[in-house]
Amino acid sequence: METLRQLLVGREISELSRVTHLLDEPEQLASAVGGVLPSAAARAPHAQLGEALAPAVERAVQRSIQKSPRTLTDILYPVFLPAIRKSIGEKIDQTFQSLNETLRHIFTWHGLKWRFEAWRTGASFSEVVLKHSLVYRVEHVFLINRNSGLLIAHVTADNATSEDPQLISSMLSAIQDFVKDSFNEKEQSGLDTIRFGELRLWSEVGPFATLVAVIRGNPPEELHEIVRDVLFRIHDEYSQALEQFDGDSSQLAGIETQLHSCVELKQEDSNQGFPWLVVAAVLLVLIPAGGWFFLSWQSGQRWQAYVSRLSTQPGIIVAEQKLRDGQFYIAGLRDPLAADPQALLSGTQVDPARVHSQWQFYQSLEPQFVLKRLTASLTPPKSVRLSIVEDRIVAEGEAPDTWIDRARAAARQLEAGGPVFDISKVRDVSPEARAAEHWQTYVSRLEAQPGIIVAQQRASGGHFYISGLRDPQAADPQALLSGTGVDPARVHSQWQFYQSLEPEFVLKRLTASLAPPKSVRLSIVEDRIVAEGEAPDTWIDRARAAARQLSAGGPVFDISGVRDVSPEARAAERWQAYVSRLSTQPGIIVAEQKLRDGQFYIAGLRDPLAADPQALLTGTQIDPARVHSQWQFYQSLDPQFVLKRLMASLTPPKSVRLSIVEDRIVAEGEAPDTWIDRARAAARQLEAGGPVFDISKIRDVSPEARAAEHWQTYVSRLEAQPGIIVAQQRASGGHFYISGLRDPQAADPQALLSGTGVDPARVHSQWQFYQSLDPKFVLKRLVASLAPPKSVRLTIIQDRIVAMGEAPAAWINRARVASQQLSADGLSLDISELRELTPQELTHLRDAIQAVGIFFDSGKAVPGPEQLPVLDKLANQLKELAKDAREAGVTAQFMLTGHSDATGRETANVSISAARAETVRALLKKRGVDPELLLVRGAGTFEPAETEISRTGSSANRRVSVTVSFH
Amino acid sequence: MQKKICMLGGFAVGKTSLVRRFVQSIFSETYLTTVGVKIDKKSVVLPDKTVDLILWDLAGEDDIGSFRVSYVRGASGLVLVVDGTRAATLAVALTLRERAEAEFGAMPFVLLFNKSDLADRWAISDSEINELRQLGWKIYLTSALSGECVDDAFRQLASMVAK
Repeated sequence: METLRQLLVGREISELSRVTHLLDEPEQLASAVGGVLPSAAARAPHAQLGEALAPAVERAVQRSIQKSPRTLTDILYPVFLPAIRKSIGEKIDQTFQSLNETLRHIFTWHGLKWRFEAWRTGASFSEVVLKHSLVYRVEHVFLINRNSGLLIAHVTADNATSEDPQLISSMLSAIQDFVKDSFNEKEQSGLDTIRFGELRLWSEVGPFATLVAVIRGNPPEELHEIVRDVLFRIHDEYSQALEQFDGDSSQLAGIETQLHSCVELKQEDSNQGFPWLVVAAVLLVLIPAGGWFFLSWQSGQRWQAYVSRLSTQPGIIVAEQKLRDGQFYIAGLRDPLAADPQALLSGTQVDPARVHSQWQFYQSLEPQFVLKRLTASLTPPKSVRLSIVEDRIVAEGEAPDTWIDRARAAARQLEAGGPVFDISKVRDVSPEARAAEHWQTYVSRLEAQPGIIVAQQRASGGHFYISGLRDPQAADPQALLSGTGVDPARVHSQWQFYQSLEPEFVLKRLTASLAPPKSVRLSIVEDRIVAEGEAPDTWIDRARAAARQLSAGGPVFDISGVRDVSPEARAAERWQAYVSRLSTQPGIIVAEQKLRDGQFYIAGLRDPLAADPQALLTGTQIDPARVHSQWQFYQSLDPQFVLKRLMASLTPPKSVRLSIVEDRIVAEGEAPDTWIDRARAAARQLEAGGPVFDISKIRDVSPEARAAEHWQTYVSRLEAQPGIIVAQQRASGGHFYISGLRDPQAADPQALLSGTGVDPARVHSQWQFYQSLDPKFVLKRLVASLAPPKSVRLTIIQDRIVAMGEAPAAWINRARVASQQLSADGLSLDISELRELTPQELTHLRDAIQAVGIFFDSGKAVPGPEQLPVLDKLANQLKELAKDAREAGVTAQFMLTGHSDATGRETANVSISAARAETVRALLKKRGVDPELLLVRGAGTFEPAETEISRTGSSANRRVSVTVSFH
Repeated sequence: MQKKICMLGGFAVGKTSLVRRFVQSIFSETYLTTVGVKIDKKSVVLPDKTVDLILWDLAGEDDIGSFRVSYVRGASGLVLVVDGTRAATLAVALTLRERAEAEFGAMPFVLLFNKSDLADRWAISDSEINELRQLGWKIYLTSALSGECVDDAFRQLASMVAK
């Protein structure tokens, strides 16, 4: 049975015993319950668990506090510290606010009223102040979910507006987060207050919701408590709904009524009545006090009136003034021209005996004083008026320049700190004044003049009128004007002529009418006019007639002292005429001249270019035989002489014109620099005393001129060249064009350019080749084509070419052929003087060689391949002949002459013929022929193998031939 | 009914442009740079009710470290925004979501691949998007330019958060 039981429920028994054991053993039970307690507590219904635990927790806390209050304090510290801190902060704010308001109202009418109210109601004064002074209005209240920032409810006051409250509430919580994050603020409370001008946002933070009140105005701190109360009430009532708020506020509809209680909060300004009572009380106190002060004040007031009157006086500066023990003291500066301070006292009711003044004199710069001083110092003429215009002293009117100068000096002095002294409006009347003065001087000068009687004179309107009598011999009134400073144009004279019979006028008239020669002297001796000296008879006659006229009333004219010297006088007169004529001659300087014993002597300087003094004698009625001249040559620096000399020495080109312009010699036109250089040198020489020689107007035409010169040099050089015929040449636009004929043997015109200074690039030549028949050229051609051996000499004898000496027979034959050809052109080559000379063994090979021709294709300078065997053979022959000749004691030379056909331009033909010869030379050299022995020339078309008939050119003529010569 | 929604996404993915044309706003975009958040509202009318989505547009940051996760507190849903032309922004959006959920628990979200108008520069493969769709995610290819799908996305999110 036991076994069966063991089998059936054995496991349960052991399990049961384990559980029993577990329950019996407190330690085991505790650990078992401890394992499930947290989850059991979590699953228990909140209300029941709270009720069950409350007494135990309360006891435990109580016990803990009894045992060690510190532990719980430490635990709770982070919780209540912020709350305490906030509470204290608010309390302090509250105190400050009430203190502020108390201070502000303490001495006002409100203050009095409110003190009375405080005393009557038993409240503190600050409370009453706050009650009356804080004007505010809660405009919005937001209830915001703390977690999500979503708006739970929003209430707004009448007439208050705002943007979408949902967005605002979110943004407010975002800003709270922002502040918290930004400044690492761990506190749970959040933003308390945001102020923006008149607006304040107050937020109160609850466990699940934040209440934000938007207040306009100045709310009392107590409002915090009111708002907080509302928040607590809401939390009380809707704790569950707030905690579970998920954006759906339909559950929380009642909240708005709670919030309305906040929005209704406000304090409005009330109108206060006018404080009549206080005003009356103040008046009661003030009136007797005022009466008491009035008398002493009045006395001071009078003094002050005087002082201020003084202060406003121009030219008086009150520096110090005081009233002490009923005595008045004043000190300061005063201008001597200012009003007398003492005099000003009269009529002020200030007792002069009680006034003690101390005045220092100074110069006031006030315009009116300056004006006074100026009037005193400048003593302006009556025509000038000084006045003050806007602090400036203005002088107006007319004054002479001397006064204006003084005024100007005064104005300058004033510039340093004084008022402006404007004298711009003073017209300078000096000219008229001076003119009048000058006029008077002139008039009195006239009056002092003998022979002038001033009848009337006056000045009017700047013009002068004078009339009277004058002797024609008297000084000219007009001339007397000069130097008086009177403008002749303003003088209107009216003179009646009369004849003064005063001796001196008579003398004058006589001098004028008789024009006595120098040898006669007229003088006044005791009212008589006496003539003395020598005169020709004609003059004596006229003098006598005058004396007769005068005898009727005038002074005596005594001519008895005049000797008749007519013949000599006349000769001398002529001589004088001649001398003066000479003197006026340019380039002639009369240094000395005299007349002695009927002979005339003259000496002086003359320019070789001046007129000939001798020639000038003709027509003078002076006997040349009696004239003894002594002229030294000199160079006159008179411009016209210098011009002449310059013309002679500089030989200006036609393009230059020299002329005299105001004593300067001016060269104009174009000239080459060489001339300009010479002219400049001449100008430099002239600088020392001579007239100016101005060559600045000469244009330098040297470059062109030189180029043209060089060209002419070149052309004349070409023309001098044998074998060159210049047909036409001209220079145009800096380029040179030349055309003509030239012999191929003649000098190359291009080569002749070198050294001429002509730019080859500017030369455009057109040369036609021709064969000159000038014996020299013929000779050259013969020398070239016949290649005469050294033993033969070709010379020109009277237009004939004569060959002399010894030559191989073959050469003589060729010379003969040439001679025949030449005779056709009218030239002659005389070979009669030649003697045959050639070793026979050489002639054979030579003839073979000379028969060889290397042929070319048209336009080619290189022979075709078919010519190579010919070249090979020729090379061998040449080498053999050279060797044989050497053995025979002579040197064989081979002239390779290139030829061309007659097609194409001659220049091209000449050059291709030369090129062919050169090619053959090179090919022969390559084949072992000593190049020293190979000579090359190009004959062009001039030595054809056959006469050309076809237009395509003869192939026989496109060849290189070989001529052998022995030396 | 209102719901707080956070828009999350990397720098310049176009969150601000997305909301600019489709929402009601009273705050300027300078709030983004000053406060780091801008709040807009999008009202979505569902068959049975109207949901006001209060959209918190957080300043986009590629530096995930500077992301102010505290702004997400109390949010009912997320709008994850990815720049379809920059593959890296997908990782940024997902990381931001992970951080938000680690802090405040899982919440519904929609994933927007923005700038769908820039097809030639598109950097995210269809297969990648399909894989994400396989996870049951609500994914929209949006364009702030054309407005394509933006309303759909908000409507979807509204119905998800309103349940």
